Amino acid sequence: MSLLTAEQQEIKKTTREFVAKNIIPNAAEYDKKGEFHAFLLDAARESKIFAMAVPKEYGGLEYSALTQGLVLEEWGYGCAGMGTTLAASILGMDPLLVAGNEEQRQRYFDPIVKGGIAAFGLTEPAAGSDAAGGKTTAVRSGDEYVLNGSKCFITNGGYASVYIILAKTDPTKGVKGISAFIVERGRPGFTVGTVDHKLGIRSSNTVELLLKDVHIPASNLLGKEGEGMKIAMMTLDIARPAIAALAVGIAQRALDECVKYLQKRFPDKLQPGQTLQFKLADMQIQVEAARDTLHHTLQLRDSGAPFSEESAISKALCGDVAMAITTQAVSLMGSYGYTSEIAKLMRDAKIMQIYEGTNQIQRLVISRAVLAPAPAAGAAQKAGK
Amino acid sequence: MPKCLVCYKWTLDEKDIKIKPADSSLDTARAKGKISDFDRNAIEEAALLVEKQGGAVHALTYGTSAVKQSLKDVLSRGPEKVYWIADASADAADACVTANVLAAAIRKLGSYDLILCGEGSSDVFNRQTAVRLAALLSLPCVTYVEKLSIEGDTVKATRKLDEGSEVATVKGPVVVSVLGQINKPRIPSLKQVLAASKKPNEEIKITDLGLKPESLQPKSVHRSVKGFVTKRKNIIYKESSAATNVAKLTSSLAAEGLR
Amino acid sequence: MNFQLTEEQQLIEQSARDFAKEFLDPIAVQLDYTGEFPKAVIAELANHDFLGLHLPAEAGGAGAGFVSYVAVIESLSRSSAAVTSIINNQAMASYAIQTWGSDAQKKQYVRAFIKGETIGAFAVCENGPTTGIGPDALNATKTEDGYVLKGTKAYVRNAGEAGVYVVFAVTDAADPNALTAFVVDASAAGLKVGPRLNTMGLKGCPVAHVVFDDVKVPETAVLGSLKAGREIATRVLALASVAEAAQTVGIGQAAVEHAAAYAKQRVQFGKPIATLQAIQTLLAEAATDCYLARLALRAAAQLVEDGKPFEAEAAIVKSFLARLGSKILVDSCQVEGGMGFSESMPLPRLFRDIAGTTLLDSPADFPDYAIAASIA
Repeated sequence: MSLLTAEQQEIKKTTREFVAKNIIPNAAEYDKKGEFHAFLLDAARESKIFAMAVPKEYGGLEYSALTQGLVLEEWGYGCAGMGTTLAASILGMDPLLVAGNEEQRQRYFDPIVKGGIAAFGLTEPAAGSDAAGGKTTAVRSGDEYVLNGSKCFITNGGYASVYIILAKTDPTKGVKGISAFIVERGRPGFTVGTVDHKLGIRSSNTVELLLKDVHIPASNLLGKEGEGMKIAMMTLDIARPAIAALAVGIAQRALDECVKYLQKRFPDKLQPGQTLQFKLADMQIQVEAARDTLHHTLQLRDSGAPFSEESAISKALCGDVAMAITTQAVSLMGSYGYTSEIAKLMRDAKIMQIYEGTNQIQRLVISRAVLAPAPAAGAAQKAGK
Repeated sequence: MPKCLVCYKWTLDEKDIKIKPADSSLDTARAKGKISDFDRNAIEEAALLVEKQGGAVHALTYGTSAVKQSLKDVLSRGPEKVYWIADASADAADACVTANVLAAAIRKLGSYDLILCGEGSSDVFNRQTAVRLAALLSLPCVTYVEKLSIEGDTVKATRKLDEGSEVATVKGPVVVSVLGQINKPRIPSLKQVLAASKKPNEEIKITDLGLKPESLQPKSVHRSVKGFVTKRKNIIYKESSAATNVAKLTSSLAAEGLR
Repeated sequence: MNFQLTEEQQLIEQSARDFAKEFLDPIAVQLDYTGEFPKAVIAELANHDFLGLHLPAEAGGAGAGFVSYVAVIESLSRSSAAVTSIINNQAMASYAIQTWGSDAQKKQYVRAFIKGETIGAFAVCENGPTTGIGPDALNATKTEDGYVLKGTKAYVRNAGEAGVYVVFAVTDAADPNALTAFVVDASAAGLKVGPRLNTMGLKGCPVAHVVFDDVKVPETAVLGSLKAGREIATRVLALASVAEAAQTVGIGQAAVEHAAAYAKQRVQFGKPIATLQAIQTLLAEAATDCYLARLALRAAAQLVEDGKPFEAEAAIVKSFLARLGSKILVDSCQVEGGMGFSESMPLPRLFRDIAGTTLLDSPADFPDYAIAASIA
């Protein structure tokens, strides 16, 4: 873990308290019901935590990337489903940071600052890892665009106030024909479809979005026509470490639960001995390494340095670590693990390897960076990062 | 108490067959054997009849040496005995040869009240074997049977035709070929499987059947068997006028060799 | 050395496959959703001789060997591991009674097990990482006409549905490692089944704690002989390891096949994702692990059938799958991406089920000790 400033330590502490009070006691119930935790938006309104990425000038907290990572780790520790709501809302508003103009930012951040959430609508049945394969269209008509199509697996879709929707403005241009749009809740023709029942993060709201002749003003276009994919990719670079933070939280939780369980089982000391001790040590190594990698990525971002590759590395690593550690935790705790919230941790961990770019996509990003020709000068400086 | 004989074919399980992309030929290396589907129904039908009213069920098959793998399977499904003829001639045999061989065997085995076959085999589905067999044995034949009963020496069979059904009443002995909808073949219970090893099987040597060499010469010859895979061209015709699109479609089809 | 199933074993396996398709596939999803004990399926299993598969013919069983047993469990598990959990746990009880039971015990229960009229449960203390005695362990105090049982058995599978429990208790406080096995009828006064626990998967196989509140049992309730319990438990658990491994392989195989079929039709980047090396790697590793596990568990099963020592081999299979079993599902779900996380598809259920067959009863160090002990 990076050395934190006093302010960061304080934020981490208050977040931990918030999570202990609001999230941990309710996690199992909402997971079992598979219901969205609207109460949490109310509980978080005063702290404005959902606006932690919104710049101060718009009323947000403007937390640094590292601080956001601390918050998200605590939320992930408490419940990955509830943490996903927060992470995905930030994902849904990151495009405004990347490409929004002044007027758009004012409009878009307002409901978020007031306690609402956002959603990011990229995925479609035909556009999973092949994000450019989407079929939703946006046709210019006077000073409006008309959107038609559908999105699936959209987190927060049923409860968001504002959405970013990727749509094809020019189907003949492939990737360069996609544009990003703001769509506000309540636009006629914009409806929420079926809710997906999932293996994990069950309290997180995952839905279809249906767009039938949805009219939006031309001023809802983010950036220029054709920049949609570029905006999406830059957004994902920012958003991926948020998922990594949730994953670290899950992993840490699993480790802590193992320690608690073993200490109760074997009150005098760890028995039968080395096998279990070393298993805990291996878990600790993984969690610490994952967290450190993540914090490095966040610090790069905060410093203004490029961090795409590191973003992919931390997302892939932290997701894989969460999966491995939660699996180990169920094994260690046996039938108790299988019949308790420990099982939830394992179910929740799986999605960390999948959403916001599968860990296979992350590896594509990373290998491309690894195989790219080394820059002539400045390579040594980069190495000294 | 009917004495039944079921003729069955041991074929390759088509779901195990792969198509070689290079020349569309079939890769059967990993294909397991199975009792031809409608033959399985025939065995089941005979077993049900005899379980209900007594009698006996025997089974008879003609194939390559692979048929030895079929014996326990068949015996676990009701028959009390299975006769088998294994000969290389089976590899190229058509319905004509098959019927010749089966008829010769049946003449040796004695009389049966009811001879059952599947309507057609899973692999070739010629639907000729039962009819040819009946002709050779000078027996009546009822085909496309979806419901069957036997009382004394009278067989009552419901035939599924293209337009409706027909009920035929025939005085036995009779050859009957059955469709898949006649029954649901049992899943042999474990005891039935284990009991199969204790039931007898008897090889009939083809050389003991007194067949002339011509009788083993197939009248139709398979030159090759190829698989086909649907390949989508994914071409969309999206001109503004329907007439233009149709014209483009028809010229594409003509270019593919369709006229 | 023959790695293939015999013709007979293949026919048995085929019957199990056909049974799974006809009776398990149609109910598997609903069973996972409701967790309601599948009585109708139990009756059909009995009709097809699956409940007495491993028991000798003279006892009314099918008398098929252990290799056939694991082949059946694998085949049925491809459709519903919840059902095979019920079967396996019953088999532990029926095997124990058939092997060590008195004539009276066998007469009372074995045929009833085979016919599906009575469900059996095998309750070994499961309080932690080792199958050791914990503070809640069952105690059996000798009385004039028998024993009084007091304590709790944890995480008992088939609890609540079972008509009889094979339980293990400490009869001599001075010798707490010596266990005695008892056959206790579910109707015994003072036997209380706790509330059903919410399992991650294998829903349909009930799991609960069973409290013995001064349960009186006669002398004749002892299974085998006094203090023979540890020997019985060890042997039965070793057999159960192999049977559970068969469940894991069945679930894994089903997952690999589903993921492969999905990958062949899921088009992204203009081609089916099955053409991508990344996907091929995931599928290949999963298929490899299934194949190796199957070979290993069949080899162990053959040793059982031949009456040879098999405990180390059983531990090896268990250890292998403890490390790699869940990876098969983690990777199969990964192939299907978002769809592999949606409960509208089968993989999440298989993921939850395999966690129960591959990770549990696998105390962190227990199987490795057995293996190490056989080598060093």
